[in-house]
Amino acid sequence: MDNSGKEKEAMQLMAEADKKVKSSGSFLGGMFGGNHKVEDACEMYARAANMFKMAKNWSAAGNAFCQAARLHMQMQNKLDAATSFVDAGNAYKKADPQEAINCLNAAIDIYTDMGRFTIAAKHHMTIAEVYESELVDIEKAIAHYEQAADYYKGEESNSSANKCLLKVGFYCAQLEQYPKAIEIFEQVATSTMDNPLLKYNAKEYFWKASLCHFIVDELNAKLAIEKYESMFPAFSDSRECKLLKKLLEAHEEQNSEAFTEAVKEFDSISRLDQWQTTMLLRIKKTIQGDGGDLK
Amino acid sequence: MSSDFEAYEQEFGTLTAEITSKIGRIPKLGGEEKTQLVLNVDKQLEEVRELLEQMDLEVREIPVQSRGMYNSRLKSYKQEMEKLEKDFKRSRIAYSDEVRNELLGDDGSSSESQLIKLREERAHLLDNTERLERSSRRLEAGYQIAVETEQIGQEILSNLHTDREKIQRSRDRLRETDANLGKSSRILTGMLRRIIQNRILVFILGAIILLTIVLAIYFNLRGH
Repeated sequence: MDNSGKEKEAMQLMAEADKKVKSSGSFLGGMFGGNHKVEDACEMYARAANMFKMAKNWSAAGNAFCQAARLHMQMQNKLDAATSFVDAGNAYKKADPQEAINCLNAAIDIYTDMGRFTIAAKHHMTIAEVYESELVDIEKAIAHYEQAADYYKGEESNSSANKCLLKVGFYCAQLEQYPKAIEIFEQVATSTMDNPLLKYNAKEYFWKASLCHFIVDELNAKLAIEKYESMFPAFSDSRECKLLKKLLEAHEEQNSEAFTEAVKEFDSISRLDQWQTTMLLRIKKTIQGDGGDLK
Repeated sequence: MSSDFEAYEQEFGTLTAEITSKIGRIPKLGGEEKTQLVLNVDKQLEEVRELLEQMDLEVREIPVQSRGMYNSRLKSYKQEMEKLEKDFKRSRIAYSDEVRNELLGDDGSSSESQLIKLREERAHLLDNTERLERSSRRLEAGYQIAVETEQIGQEILSNLHTDREKIQRSRDRLRETDANLGKSSRILTGMLRRIIQNRILVFILGAIILLTIVLAIYFNLRGH
């Protein structure tokens, strides 16, 4: 009841703002009070967009924000333009993911131009999340996460960079780009090893890297585990390491039951998450593939 | 006649002796030997019964005066035979007790209480096993919780690290902004000063022009 009223108001405002912009386009208007009018129009667009948001008309709100952003660009108001683009992106996220990505890309361009890399990185992450969840385009998501990680590294925010890199690693491994994933995991693990706050995470990263090694080649995995143990003694104590050793043995003997048993035992104490189960399943398939029989 | 009876008596005596000894042995044996012995004793008892019947007939044939003594003897023999039969029966049934007592030493208890004791022990052991299982299950659950706690701790730590970096960055930016604000306020004061200077200059110039005009008019009037 209230919302539809708001919508009508919003449409009215949009119409007014359009008129103002058009009128300022003519020569006379430009001479006398053009800027003033454009500013007013911007404000009107923003108000209209807010009202659309209240009425939950996301695409109209996004549209209004985009218009406002373009006007800001005209007036060389880069910062305001970027914020408007971001608002537009947020509004479009709920309705039209592709449009959202376009708006966010425009915002990122402005920010990188101004040298504000942190916030650009944050928006790269948002775009990557949209690709992850709504558009399911893993390649693009990986690209954006990588960009975000690079920007974060440039700005010395190592934990955020690590977070992005980890996601990149996950998706690479899922897409079977194992060398890259291994490199990423090792890098992250070595960098977190020394930090007293983060060293408890290091063993988890080593475990994931060893899993990837394992899928590629068993010998690789053995060498890798030895290397990690020498680098980071606490790794050898962890249950994950013990599980790895058991899995290596089972793999050598081509014994898929011992493999399954070891995995089940580990799972009974602490659940394995989706990604790890997928990896382990791939390893198991290689065992069975070598064994030759189809169980 | 009486010699027959005496011969029967003698035979009865030997048979009963044999039977008694065999009955004594039966409980201690088992299996094949026992069945054989049991059959033996059965046969002998049959013979004893036949003997007694014949003795009865003999006694009937004896004249009535001397019958009394033979009658009483016959009665005692019959009683003996009944006793032997009873013993025999008991020996066949009661073997289990004897053998069991031998096996278990001086238990002094019957099979009933044995069963009860065994059942108690069994319940006790089951109880213990259950208690052990319960404790091991609890330990496992505790271990699981510990591992989960560790993982949660890891996550929290990494979050803290990110937040720490954010706070550091914000602090730096704040300091920068502070410095910038200081600079801008200095610039503004500079601007203000220049404005005042300009205004003073304008006033001075205006005053000079005014003076010049006044002087020009004055000289003109003077010149006339």
